[in-house]
Amino acid sequence: MADTDNTEDGRQHIKSMLMRESLLDKDLQRSTETPVYRMLPNACVVKIGGRSIIDAGREAVYPLVEALAGCLETKKLIIGVGGGVRSRHVFSIGIDLGLPTGVLAQLSMADSLGNAHILGTLLAPYGVVAIPPEIFGHLLPLFIHSVPGVIFNGVPPYSLWEHPPALGRIPPHRTDAGSFLLAECFGCQSLVLVKDVDGLYDRDPKEHANAEFIREIGSTELKARQLETLPFDRVLLDLLDNARLLRSFQIINGLHPDRISAALNGEHVGTIIHAG
Amino acid sequence: MHHDLLTELGRSLVSGSLEDEKLMAKTVDPQPVQILPEANVIKIGGQSFIDRGRVAVFPLIEEVVKNLGRHQMIIGTGAGTRARHAYSVGIDLGLPTGVLSVLGTFVSMQNARMLHYLLARHGIPFIEPVQFPQLPLYLAERGAVIFFGMPPYVFWHQNPAVGRIPPHRTDTGSYLVSEVFGARSMIYVKDEKGLYTADPKKERHARFIPKITVSELEELDLQDVVVEHSVLGLMKHATYRRSIQVINGLEEGNLTRALNGEHVGTIITSD
Repeated sequence: MADTDNTEDGRQHIKSMLMRESLLDKDLQRSTETPVYRMLPNACVVKIGGRSIIDAGREAVYPLVEALAGCLETKKLIIGVGGGVRSRHVFSIGIDLGLPTGVLAQLSMADSLGNAHILGTLLAPYGVVAIPPEIFGHLLPLFIHSVPGVIFNGVPPYSLWEHPPALGRIPPHRTDAGSFLLAECFGCQSLVLVKDVDGLYDRDPKEHANAEFIREIGSTELKARQLETLPFDRVLLDLLDNARLLRSFQIINGLHPDRISAALNGEHVGTIIHAG
Repeated sequence: MHHDLLTELGRSLVSGSLEDEKLMAKTVDPQPVQILPEANVIKIGGQSFIDRGRVAVFPLIEEVVKNLGRHQMIIGTGAGTRARHAYSVGIDLGLPTGVLSVLGTFVSMQNARMLHYLLARHGIPFIEPVQFPQLPLYLAERGAVIFFGMPPYVFWHQNPAVGRIPPHRTDTGSYLVSEVFGARSMIYVKDEKGLYTADPKKERHARFIPKITVSELEELDLQDVVVEHSVLGLMKHATYRRSIQVINGLEEGNLTRALNGEHVGTIITSD
């Protein structure tokens, strides 16, 4: 089918559905909407908070490692890790030095990679280690069929190509977004974000004792409520809207480690945010 | 815990939420430095340019060479018809956007390699994203570098709102390089004079638009636009690269004039 079409317009085309078309044409874009193949339908993505869990030290991390080890007996886990306080610090220094968003995104990869190795060390007895980002995506299906789970730095590889945000300088696609995009692309079963709060509140529960817990909410309603702060990367709401395979995610409190296996079994133990 | 070593912003970021808008407003200042203010980013179209072969590419290469020593050039490449073929096979097989993005990256890399060999005798390197830390050295020493235009999002590429084709392709990847480096200009080399009210290859009566703002362009809600939509979205939040120019590279001298700051195609501005 090596048909080429050397046309009067001077461009050499290969015959295909999209031949000679502008990919920017709206009708053409609609024509490409078809069902998506799931690469890893049995794997679950779990994102472990950097500041909320890893930075909290042994008291938070050891019970969580034990809970994850239990889950690994029956589930295939892809574990993403946040950068935590060190990323916050490098952002503040970088901003002070006048470095743009793309550079801040590039710098922050190192912090979550460090945390991935910290968690990887503790999960090593269970056959789970941190995978170098350069090979992680391409070899993921091989790993998932060979070992109980893998760890990656949750930061998506946007680096210098990170999108400047509407307000300020902090990279908008951080480790929650990296974990979401990975789960969506590989068609994974679920995404669980493990934090140090029970889920979503209408205000920061650490500052407002009477903050109201939101057990389940759709992305449209959540955007409309314009909450001042969210316990996850705000960009997740946009990513959910465009998701084809991962239509919801759950935020749970990792200080109650038993909730991890419950969430992985599909139980509702935190806040579920769904598309629409 | 005392954070005496931290700046005030540092203290707020370490303890606050990165989704708190009041805190984010504090990260606006100071204005970022311009990392490479003398560099120009040039994107050479895939389907519109490189797929035309020697007749289009050789004169442009000659023009690039003539500008060595006069203008620093960071040259990104488009993908073109092979990417369209790969996308259509992939879409038929139900592959996700992230995988299509990998396939598109391979094609724009082929195009970058080809241009690189044509410029190799002038000491111009082709660099992949992992080699970007060497970019300033090559630029200072040789005056130009080639890179593939696709942003390296691969499996982490966001879905489009409609369809499956990766929304952030080579126009976007090149644009983001120009913005992050605070570059002097962003020039898109295509095979049309610039932006028209419709695809001039299909609509005889398409009207040429020499200059337009992003919001005016969005209001027109054209069926087809000469640069990727996501570039327009990103331009709204840009610090430095608040204008881009689309030029017809088939016309000799246009690239040089655009590098000299002249208006030879369509200029799109953030405001």
